[in-house]
Amino acid sequence: MIAKTKKISNYKQLKKELPTTRYVDPEYVYINMDTQRCKTCGLWVQEGDYVKLGQIIGEREGGFFKQPVYSTVSGHVEKTVRKLDSSGKEVEFIKIRNDFKDTYDESITDRPESVIAKMTKEEIVEIVKEKALIGLGGAAFPTYIKLDTKEDIHTVVINAVECEPYLSSDYRLIMDHPEQVFKGLQYLMQASGAKQGVVAVKKTKKELVEILEREVERFKDLNIKIAKLADFYPQGWEIETFKGATGIKVPIGELPMKYGILGFNVSTCQSVFEAVKHNLPVVKRYVTVNGDAVNFPQSIRTRVGAQVKDLIRLSDGYKEGIDKVEVIIGGPMMGTSVETDDVVVTPTTTSVLIFENIDYDEEPCVRCGSCIYSCPVDIQPVSIMNAVKRNDKKAIEALEAKKCIECGLCAYVCTSKIHVTDYVRKGKKLIG
Amino acid sequence: MEIIQKSAPHLRKPNANVVRMMRDVVIALLPLVALAIYNHGLTAVWIMLAAILSMVGTEYVYYQISDLVNKEKFKLKNKNFTLYNYSVMVSGVIYGLTIPDATPIMIVIIGGVIAVLLVKLVFGGMGQNIFNVAAFGRAFIALSFGAAVGVANFVDSEVGATVLGALSASPFADITVNYSLMDMFTGIGLPGTIGETSAMLILVGGIYLALRKSFDVFVPLVYVGTVFVLSLAVMVRMDLDWWYPLTHILSGGLLFGAIYMATDPITIPVTRPGRVYFAFGLGVITFVIRLFGQYPEGVVFAILIMNMFVPAIDYPQWARSKFSVRSAIIFTAVVLLTIMAIWVGVTYVG
Repeated sequence: MIAKTKKISNYKQLKKELPTTRYVDPEYVYINMDTQRCKTCGLWVQEGDYVKLGQIIGEREGGFFKQPVYSTVSGHVEKTVRKLDSSGKEVEFIKIRNDFKDTYDESITDRPESVIAKMTKEEIVEIVKEKALIGLGGAAFPTYIKLDTKEDIHTVVINAVECEPYLSSDYRLIMDHPEQVFKGLQYLMQASGAKQGVVAVKKTKKELVEILEREVERFKDLNIKIAKLADFYPQGWEIETFKGATGIKVPIGELPMKYGILGFNVSTCQSVFEAVKHNLPVVKRYVTVNGDAVNFPQSIRTRVGAQVKDLIRLSDGYKEGIDKVEVIIGGPMMGTSVETDDVVVTPTTTSVLIFENIDYDEEPCVRCGSCIYSCPVDIQPVSIMNAVKRNDKKAIEALEAKKCIECGLCAYVCTSKIHVTDYVRKGKKLIG
Repeated sequence: MEIIQKSAPHLRKPNANVVRMMRDVVIALLPLVALAIYNHGLTAVWIMLAAILSMVGTEYVYYQISDLVNKEKFKLKNKNFTLYNYSVMVSGVIYGLTIPDATPIMIVIIGGVIAVLLVKLVFGGMGQNIFNVAAFGRAFIALSFGAAVGVANFVDSEVGATVLGALSASPFADITVNYSLMDMFTGIGLPGTIGETSAMLILVGGIYLALRKSFDVFVPLVYVGTVFVLSLAVMVRMDLDWWYPLTHILSGGLLFGAIYMATDPITIPVTRPGRVYFAFGLGVITFVIRLFGQYPEGVVFAILIMNMFVPAIDYPQWARSKFSVRSAIIFTAVVLLTIMAIWVGVTYVG
């Protein structure tokens, strides 16, 4: 009510500890040509061509960087189709028929530890760039640009907080492959020259802390520590994570590199391990399928390029007797709701949530102030909403609507069930 | 099965809703209503009924008429009818409790109708009112009909001197000779309005609301705190005893106004610093009216006056959701200056 809200209650009573299934052999995979950051793309193969796993089949172009496109299976190229990607946008996909042989491209070779140990920063950055690694937490920012910073880095922070409720793909990844995360962190520290590595997790996830602490014992000479952060939302937001993990407060709008910190999502960190060690692009990832309208919630280790509707089918489909559902790609607070389940799993797809649709009745705002009290960036959502209704650009600017990180807390806490976040989004658009 | 597309976030806090908030206020007020009926019998029943029904009825009739004007089909249960969210009910109960028991029922009804109509409905209904509805109704009947019904100190009293009335007549004479502090705390049998006299029950309601987080606890704390500090200054300056600040807090409408009227979220600023400034302003105005003004009580006027400053406090160019060092320093300076002004000014009283 009229107080600061820091926790998202699990009122849908969903579990976080889910069983895991492997689904690595879909009949077709779809590789996206455009992404939210790369608007154009060149295709290097044509229909009927045989491609191998890890083969470059094209090149995406974002404004200031280029990114090769990799095939995630071996098989024959078919037509390009238009489908939705994980951001809910319709983009071009190239369809590849899987031959179930997983024939690796010649470039996919393991590097021995002794070679890796001698690598310089430039060499590792080059691998990360060549393998098209991006921020797998959802931001999809090219990892090599971050890693190639000219600033003096003292700490690499691995963000394994996963603060949104109902998500467990990062949790699953650490439970299954903690050593890969630590190796990835080791390479990242080697590349950035950082003296210290920090893995940030929620202290409420006791199993994770336990497993990570055992790995710390194993990698004794690496100076890695585990930061156990309090369980509140949005703790996984970069600036909050850095504050909790290192005590350094990075002002909003400034790059954390300036303060000597490099932050990576835990999945990104693991993909760095795969790239450096096995020379692999992102081929597989964990996707959580959860929600109160799906029959069997579970974590799925899936091939990148599989279809979301197959994942839902694998989870025994939608529950009977529910006539309206929401399909959300990403977390319940910041994820994108899509209009159909014909969506492709891209490297940044962390989860698929299927909720029973609830229509809330909006009541008039009573100016209770809960949204202001709960806002993590200390702006005034309700005042911005009123300014948006008046179309008052000056006021929107004065209220610093730009600072908004769209965490969704203002709409979550609203006593009148008003979609405040949407108004703030509109405000951000209005002032450009 | 249909897939619905919506924008994030996809969750809503389950127990956050306006109805609960308003219902909590009604629940917190129930002991006061019970005490009013215990103290004043049927008179209190009639006043409460008149206050609630006049407000609820006005809103109902207004929306029915506006629907007719918009050529909508007549339905007995109006879709706009905001009774279901208790908001007008809250205004009605609070308004009823602030009325002295000698007030004719007709005047209660007129006040209720005018308040809801002029302050709430004309401005666009729930969430749009610029003044606290109950406070406006109370002030309206006090100023318009005070003389007509032949009650001397209509703002604060029934027939006969109230605690604050006595204090207003002779500002620094020890009041505890006639009224013990314990009586002021329990409020049983004390002259005054039908619902404001019992500090104890008001505090019980306030604690309930604070535990349920249904109001912003900062507002009453700062409001009452301001009055306490200012009366403390007077106490030290005029060489009085502890009864002086305690009387100011326990008597009159201060606690009632602070907990139930000054916390009405619609008519107070939205940010925490804004609410602190607002409550401080309330405290100063209340105390200044009590000390220097003609009326013995100033809570209702303080609330109405500060309601007018809300848009200024919330002005986007300077309203911030956290105290900055600069604003904290300026605010502290203003507080100290106010205490000094009272310190000097009190010597001119009487």
